[in-house]
Amino acid sequence: MNIRSVEKSTWIFIIFSLLLFIVPFIVTGRSMQFIIIQIFIFAIFAMSYDILLGYTGIISFGHVMFFGIGAYSTAIIMNNMDATVLSFFVAILVAVIIASIVSFIVGALTLRLKSHFYAMLTLALAGLFLVAAEKWRSLTGGNDGFTFRLPEILRESHNLYMLCLIALILFFFGLRRFTKSPFGRVLMAIRENEARTESLGYKVLHYKVIASVVAGVVASIAGVLYALSLRFVNTGVFATDLTIDVLLMTIIGGVGTLVGPILGAGLVEFAHHWLSGLSNVHWIFERWIILYGTVYVLVVIFFPLGIVGTIQSKFTNRTVKGLRDNRKTVGK
Amino acid sequence: MSSLLKLDQVEAHIQKFHILQGISFDVKKGGVTVLLGRNGAGKTTTLRTIMGLNQVSKGTVTFKDENIGSLPTHQISNKGIGYVPEDQGVFGDLTVGENMRVAMKKEDEATTKRMEWVLDLFPDLKKFWKKPGGALSGGQKQMLAIARAYVNENELLLIDEPSKGLAPIIVDKVTESILQMKENTTILLVEQNFMMASKIGNQFYIIDDGKTVHDGQMEELKQDKVLMKKYLGIA
Amino acid sequence: MDLIISLTVNGLATGMLIFLLAAGLTLIFGLMSVLNFAHGGLFIWGAYTGVWSFQMTGSFVVGIITAIITGLLLGLVTERLIIRPVYGNHIQQILITLGFMLVLQEFIKVVFGPDQKAVFPPEILQGSFLVGDIVLIKYRLFIIAVGILIFIVSSFILKRTRIGLIVRAGVMDKEMVQSLGINIKLVFMLVFMVGAAMAALSGIMHAVYSGVIYAEMGLEFSILAFIVVVIGGMGSFSGSLFAAILVGLAQAFMAYYVPALSLAVNMLLMTVVLIFRPQGLFGKG
Repeated sequence: MNIRSVEKSTWIFIIFSLLLFIVPFIVTGRSMQFIIIQIFIFAIFAMSYDILLGYTGIISFGHVMFFGIGAYSTAIIMNNMDATVLSFFVAILVAVIIASIVSFIVGALTLRLKSHFYAMLTLALAGLFLVAAEKWRSLTGGNDGFTFRLPEILRESHNLYMLCLIALILFFFGLRRFTKSPFGRVLMAIRENEARTESLGYKVLHYKVIASVVAGVVASIAGVLYALSLRFVNTGVFATDLTIDVLLMTIIGGVGTLVGPILGAGLVEFAHHWLSGLSNVHWIFERWIILYGTVYVLVVIFFPLGIVGTIQSKFTNRTVKGLRDNRKTVGK
Repeated sequence: MSSLLKLDQVEAHIQKFHILQGISFDVKKGGVTVLLGRNGAGKTTTLRTIMGLNQVSKGTVTFKDENIGSLPTHQISNKGIGYVPEDQGVFGDLTVGENMRVAMKKEDEATTKRMEWVLDLFPDLKKFWKKPGGALSGGQKQMLAIARAYVNENELLLIDEPSKGLAPIIVDKVTESILQMKENTTILLVEQNFMMASKIGNQFYIIDDGKTVHDGQMEELKQDKVLMKKYLGIA
Repeated sequence: MDLIISLTVNGLATGMLIFLLAAGLTLIFGLMSVLNFAHGGLFIWGAYTGVWSFQMTGSFVVGIITAIITGLLLGLVTERLIIRPVYGNHIQQILITLGFMLVLQEFIKVVFGPDQKAVFPPEILQGSFLVGDIVLIKYRLFIIAVGILIFIVSSFILKRTRIGLIVRAGVMDKEMVQSLGINIKLVFMLVFMVGAAMAALSGIMHAVYSGVIYAEMGLEFSILAFIVVVIGGMGSFSGSLFAAILVGLAQAFMAYYVPALSLAVNMLLMTVVLIFRPQGLFGKG
């Protein structure tokens, strides 16, 4: 990609971001604004997942644990401290610190494992967090969860919209920069061929751990915003359904593109809204996970590059190794 | 002599690498055809492609007048082709006997006879019948792999570098056994050990950079020092 | 003393149920390098269909047979529709099986309703034996007996029959097995179906054991099976028995003494094994 085309796409993204600032003045309905806020939050979450799956080729089934850490940190701190903006900043700080420590430990211990083991271990770990949240009732309120108070300024839907939008824009451009940096190039090299990257002298584990810490921290911020937007938290933030949601968003939009997950988040959230609306029509729409799961399975089989990835590959002949060409290497 | 196996301008890729770029040869019924060439020339890939372990991306593979290029591996094998891979493919956790049992497609009289014959040829296998394949020496593994390919009524055996990593005295033994098998079956041999190849082979093909570049009778090649130096690096 | 024995029996029973689930997982993985995250879905379908027909007919045997048939059929469908299209691509396989797991789980709710259901053992297996001061619950002994029986039969098949030898050979070298004229895809389909049937059997037996079934049980219980597969070594059949008993016992004793930590202790066990012996206790390096 030459410099001119990079600049062009950057301009497009900036113009699009600016447009989003106008949206709340046009769309004033609270429920619609709420949906868009949810999209922003899940877009951040899905982008963080894209750093793992799309850029580094790591499959984690436990990424929700960081999302949950963010959500519970916020809820617990806001519940136990005064409802001020200061405590909100404390909540962010705590979420980031816990998420980085946990992601570092999990990464350092397990990222040397093969993809199967890692996927399995992270699934089990997320399960552990879920059980902990259920059992530690004094802190988490168990299954039912609890509501908490927020400072006036954060309760205002308009402000919340702006906060989430700014977070999304910052993370988008930040992560985009990150993936285009030399560090990001190494991550992609790992995705393409781990053994070769190692033999070129890069400490693959070191790079993977940093990628997982970055992804973990970003996911925890998404969790913070999620708790904020609901003013409520329960064990659902650690559920496997959420993992499938974020997988679907990332894959349907296009792995390894960052824009894809944002688009995917939009599609999935709107579909979710629409399907719950239909639950009055027929009860089967309450079981929307079936639809999501089925769409997800079909996308993985027939459409592994996702929307953005497919468009990009039309233009640049780019292939996403992680999902498509990773057939078993055949010896000579 | 009629043609048993014929490759016509076969090309194959491993991932995005174009490994075979035009392999053509003709294995006549009876006798031993040897594929020669430097390391990395594409000899092993040629055998794997015949077996269907690599996809043929262009060209045809004909066995007994039938195009087998697009068949799955097990069907190719069942057409009557036995395969001894470069790494011998011995199942380490299975005993010698179990290795033979997995290989045997039928348990009829003819198969039993062939089994007895091959066990007489390699008495070590009988001796270590209950020993796991993984515990055998390199030479014994090679014998087991050859026996496994021979026990079925195959019309063609593909043998990939049987001398690799073996002590000279064992190489002689393996050479001797292949010479005996040659009486009953056609063999396509990949071999780097020129001494062995020249002892066994009738005709030869030289593969270089994924193409067949030269062929002829083994006897002629032994005289042709220029050719040997050019493609095989033997002075 | 009687407490320890009774906890041991609990542990062994749980261990056998996990073993039934893990054995299929480990063989499928060994043969095709497919880690089937949908395995818990097969478990739960076995549980629901088995319980349904058990309650309809009043015969536990019919329930078990129903579960096994469900397992075989569902295994066939899963292998054909889910695993085969992405054969050879590990990332896709991992992603897709988890998705299918959730679809199976949600479909349970569609077919059988979203609520928990209570299940009681058949009369003949209710109650307990009294040996001295020790109370031995019949149904738990039944589970242990079935587990041992399945282990013996499977071991016999794997060790003595040609199909068993082929499966073991396939775990070591798939290409060579194909080169010997064996249709490995067919073998894999069979193994997948049998593995699914074992998962379904585990499901119905677990349903009666725990006395209650709910859709999320599949994923929860399959996490234990994953732990077992890792500890025992991927692809190792006897390893999975050993590890399943280990995990079952740890589970039973922790659940009694420190209930909050019963999952954590198994996770810890798995983590330790992964760090010091990533190929598992019985796995090949």
